[in-house]
Amino acid sequence: MERAAWTTAVKVGGMREVEPGATGAAGGGWLGPCGAQARVEKGVRRGSVKASAAHRRAALADRLATAGIWALSILALSTVALVIGAVLWKGLGTALSPAFVFGKPQAMREGGGVWPMVVSSFHLSLLTLALVVPLGVGAAVYMSEFAGVGRLARLVRFGADSLSAVPSVVFGIFGMVVFVVYLGLGYSLLAGALTLALLNLPTVMRSAEESIKAVPRSYLEAALATGCTKWEAVKRVVLPVAVPGIATGAILTAGRIVGESAAVIYTVGLFVRRVPWSPFRPAAPMAANIWHMYTEGALVPDWFRVASGEAALLLLIVLTLNLVARTTAKAVRKRMGYRD
Amino acid sequence: MARIFAVLGSLRGDRLLVEAPEKGITRHRFPARRDERFDAPGEGIKFHIRDLSLFYGKRKVLENITIDIPERRITAVIGPSGCGKSSFLRCLNRMNDLVEGCRVEGEVLLDGEEIYGRDGDVTSLRRRVGMVFQKPNPFPKTVYENVAFGPRVLGIKDRGVLDGIVENSLRRAALWEEVKDKLREPALALSGGQQQRLCIARVLAVEPEVILLDEPCSALDPVATQRIEDLLAELKEKYTIVIVTHNMQQAARVSDYTAFFLIEKQGDPGRLVEFGETGALFTAPADERTERYITGRFG
Repeated sequence: MERAAWTTAVKVGGMREVEPGATGAAGGGWLGPCGAQARVEKGVRRGSVKASAAHRRAALADRLATAGIWALSILALSTVALVIGAVLWKGLGTALSPAFVFGKPQAMREGGGVWPMVVSSFHLSLLTLALVVPLGVGAAVYMSEFAGVGRLARLVRFGADSLSAVPSVVFGIFGMVVFVVYLGLGYSLLAGALTLALLNLPTVMRSAEESIKAVPRSYLEAALATGCTKWEAVKRVVLPVAVPGIATGAILTAGRIVGESAAVIYTVGLFVRRVPWSPFRPAAPMAANIWHMYTEGALVPDWFRVASGEAALLLLIVLTLNLVARTTAKAVRKRMGYRD
Repeated sequence: MARIFAVLGSLRGDRLLVEAPEKGITRHRFPARRDERFDAPGEGIKFHIRDLSLFYGKRKVLENITIDIPERRITAVIGPSGCGKSSFLRCLNRMNDLVEGCRVEGEVLLDGEEIYGRDGDVTSLRRRVGMVFQKPNPFPKTVYENVAFGPRVLGIKDRGVLDGIVENSLRRAALWEEVKDKLREPALALSGGQQQRLCIARVLAVEPEVILLDEPCSALDPVATQRIEDLLAELKEKYTIVIVTHNMQQAARVSDYTAFFLIEKQGDPGRLVEFGETGALFTAPADERTERYITGRFG
């Protein structure tokens, strides 16, 4: 096969188009320095290295592939831009008005705000993070530093992977059955946070595990070589170095929690008028409220305005969270002295 | 009571050799000079290693290494790549414990105490036997925090005490003058050679007795290498030093004793071919394989 390709290349005219002057210079070196130099200079003036036909075809294919990849990425980018643009087009005006963001919701009347929903979303995501981050990071530390390749570790990893494939609505139903009804928490932020903690545990765990594994092994070895225990080494060296990664994962998780609707609908609530400061109270995170407005919006005359305003607000919050995640991780790494 | 302590005290170090004949270590022996007794005045043996074999899973990496590492001297371990010299070094502070499926046979005594004993404590062993690695690996913290790391783990919180330890360690690592104004800057901003000396300072800060160095200069330029070598010469006043190097000139320059490891053929475990005073080993090697290696005919 290789040989065939080689033959083709030659047949197609794959021989390099060598300038006669250049060959002369190479072959005539024995003539002495003067003659050789003169000929080389002549060769140099004749022009640059020419591409063979095979190379020309390769160059063409290269250009085509580059253009194709470009077109595909533009397509992907433009769909994202389209979605963001559409949401902002419909809702940005509403979302940016303080009366809407900090206003009280209205039923049967126009001009309501969404302050309780905004608080619900933030409250819910903070509560969930408080539950899921310690659990996820703990599991990740165990998995990456202490579990080794044993059966338990494999089982945990398999469980986590299976959990992350379960749709969130299933978690919602589970949360409703277990936390809302069986444990008697009722529709509440706590029931929702517990459900969302379960939902996000696999991703938090995996991202924390990846950040911990990305810490160079040499740090752990260096720490151990000064005579500290494994836990001291992990606590004082490995974890601090992994913190930017873990924090990034946590902030991205916060974004996912804010955007989650299915699991929330069954456990937290759809509409509230009072600002839910207590975790035991029902609440209405924005994503769930948007769904509620669209499906049962008849009670609110300007439901479309409220829903699109909320959607735009939600989008801005998630985008900000992602931006914050990136910049903080970068800043922390820079302070540690890494030169990326 | 006092007598008991006196006896216990006498069990440490080279005196054990005389007083514990049942351990079978009545003499210091060097494979290169089997008939000679190692009895230079005031010199002890830090590590007694008897029939040490190391396995990674089923693979035997080292076989029957018997060697005595003298106290407050520099012992170099040389040999071609893959001969197990780094693995050997990692046996001395049980760094191999980190490797899954690693097993050690034989005896390694540090001042007469079995380091692979059932009640042996890895942590205190590593505190006494520090290690510097091939690639400089300072933590991504400040220069100060790197050196203060070990003492902090030991529970030292007093600012003044820590400051003293940091300065002292950096001075002993011949780095103080260069970094005294940059203690609060990230260690990763230092040059490679400075980073490596910082790693040495980090080890010195926990007051070890032995310093193991695993090819410490292989990532450094000749000037930085020179500084590390000078530093080692100073450090041997106080510390026992074992250095693995792939650079024979370096072994010849810095070490007092040299051990030559060799792996006979692919798949064989590494074995100790020859061990002796560096001068003797390099000028008149007892083993023909040593001679071939140091004259550059293989490896």
